[in-house]
Amino acid sequence: MADDKTPAADNPYTQTYVVQSGDTLSKIAQKFYGDPALYHQIFQANQDVLKDPNKIFPGQKLKIP
Amino acid sequence: MKKQFAWLLAAMMAVLVVGCASQKGPAEQALAGAQSALSAVADQAQKYVPDQYQAVQAQITSAQDAFNKGDYKGVLAAVPAITAAISSLKDAAAAKAADAEAALSKAKDAWSSVSTDVPKMVEAIQSRVDMLSKSHHLPANVSKDTLSSAKSGLDSLKSTWNDATAAATSGDYTGAMAKAQAVKDKAAEIMKSLGMSS
Repeated sequence: MADDKTPAADNPYTQTYVVQSGDTLSKIAQKFYGDPALYHQIFQANQDVLKDPNKIFPGQKLKIP
Repeated sequence: MKKQFAWLLAAMMAVLVVGCASQKGPAEQALAGAQSALSAVADQAQKYVPDQYQAVQAQITSAQDAFNKGDYKGVLAAVPAITAAISSLKDAAAAKAADAEAALSKAKDAWSSVSTDVPKMVEAIQSRVDMLSKSHHLPANVSKDTLSSAKSGLDSLKSTWNDATAAATSGDYTGAMAKAQAVKDKAAEIMKSLGMSS
């Protein structure tokens, strides 16, 4: 797993977001980057908590690189 | 009568000359002592209290002039004040040196913290700038101008941070911290402009 090697790992200045009901990674990518296609970057930065980009749950704290 | 007066005058002059001459040695010794005492504190005094050092130096120069003119009594009268001034100069320089040492120690400690903190801020901003640069559309709270400004601000941050690191490497922790604080302030500003802070 390369999750600990991402720039966002262990960086207290990396923004975080708590998943809300109805969120998808695409929606989160749209919110922070303006482009849903960048959802994969969020998935990659959060592989320590996400195993599948289609399965996120309310209350999960995600790093937004 | 005239002869007697002439002898008396000659005798008085002789006493005066002998008296003055007897003060030359002590005056010379006192002046040398003052010069030596000033030399002993010169380095620290010139560094931390240069104005006060110059004032004492002027007192010694004045006493030296008096000595050169044969005013040994004047020299002996001036030396105690010079000695007191040197003592005061020494204390003032030592106090300033202690203050400088304390400030340096504080800056070193602060640098230790900031030198790990700031690169992480820069890294987080770089990451967000890279992401937004890949995006086909920007989020509602970030305009093209904001992103452009963040990019140039990031370059400026990196440059200033390099300067801060160089200053710290050369031992100028106070200067390094001043630059580091400017980087932190600018980084916080950019993060806010990109919506990275709540």
